Amino acid sequence: MSATLRPYLNAVRHTLSAAICLQNFNSQVVERHNKPEVEVSENNLGLDFKYDGKVEGESSREARSSKELLMTPVVVSRNEKERVLVEPSINSLRISIAIKQADEIEKILCHKFMRFMMMRAENFIILRRKPIEGYDISFLITNLHTEQMFKHKLVDFVIHFMEEIDKEISEMKLAVNARARECALEYLKRF
Amino acid sequence: MAKNTFSSEFRNIDVDQYNEDNYKDEDAADAQTHIGIEESTIISLMNQGNHAEALKMLLQTAPMTSKGRNDQAKEAHLNLVLKVLLAVNKSQMDQIITVLDSTMLDVLMKYIYRGFERPSENSSAILLQWHEKVYNVAGVGCIVRVLTDRKRV
Repeated sequence: MSATLRPYLNAVRHTLSAAICLQNFNSQVVERHNKPEVEVSENNLGLDFKYDGKVEGESSREARSSKELLMTPVVVSRNEKERVLVEPSINSLRISIAIKQADEIEKILCHKFMRFMMMRAENFIILRRKPIEGYDISFLITNLHTEQMFKHKLVDFVIHFMEEIDKEISEMKLAVNARARECALEYLKRF
Repeated sequence: MAKNTFSSEFRNIDVDQYNEDNYKDEDAADAQTHIGIEESTIISLMNQGNHAEALKMLLQTAPMTSKGRNDQAKEAHLNLVLKVLLAVNKSQMDQIITVLDSTMLDVLMKYIYRGFERPSENSSAILLQWHEKVYNVAGVGCIVRVLTDRKRV
């Protein structure tokens, strides 16, 4: 493992174990609702709300911000390209990961692979269906997850994911290149 | 008498902002201009090799207000702190951290996270070392205080 990967993962691990301190918290805006605050509290009122004749009182209200429930978002970065954004709130936590993409092939592979996983997000339980802008993949951990699963195992999962994803992408890149070489070889035999 | 209207403008009015129990950030009062520290003093301390003193001075005078206030002073201060942090040798880090008390370690941790937000070449590697060393001394509580404190640097 390279010299900066270990401290990077350690820093992410410590940050996550500090941030996964979640409790059940009902919505302050809508009665009998319970939503991940990190997802709903950042929206400003009336930005994407259009009244189109239907009864839609609720959507304008839930867009109200309650910024007291959000904590300071922090970034841990390894270099310009690789970084992790952790956005905690009272009952939920969003982790966004930017993965190293050195060249075009890695960019395509990463995009395809992340898309593949995010289409199957329910199987990963904490995976978010869309990444945050500027990042490649996002996780959303809510208080329900921490009640059902061990906190340290959740942290381990995210760290393991980060470890594996780099390996996986460089392996795929090698496979693609090997295949391309083989194809070219076969094709050019004819001439 | 009330007039029937098709306008939906009134739905965009945020009536909740007039509630009395709304949350407000506390430091509306003490958001006056921050008295910063002279850049030249820090640089002369650094030239003498006295990084610990420079860092201590910076952390004690850090501008701390809630988000969106006093941004210019914060920016200038952050640049100075990062300059000191990146100039320190790996072997000196432990020694410097022992000089700082726990409040200053919290502030230092805030600056480390701020430094992560703008990675330049090799700065992240050094900040990762700082992060690890501060964590070893101040523990997970230090990070929790960074996350929960509304006074940001």
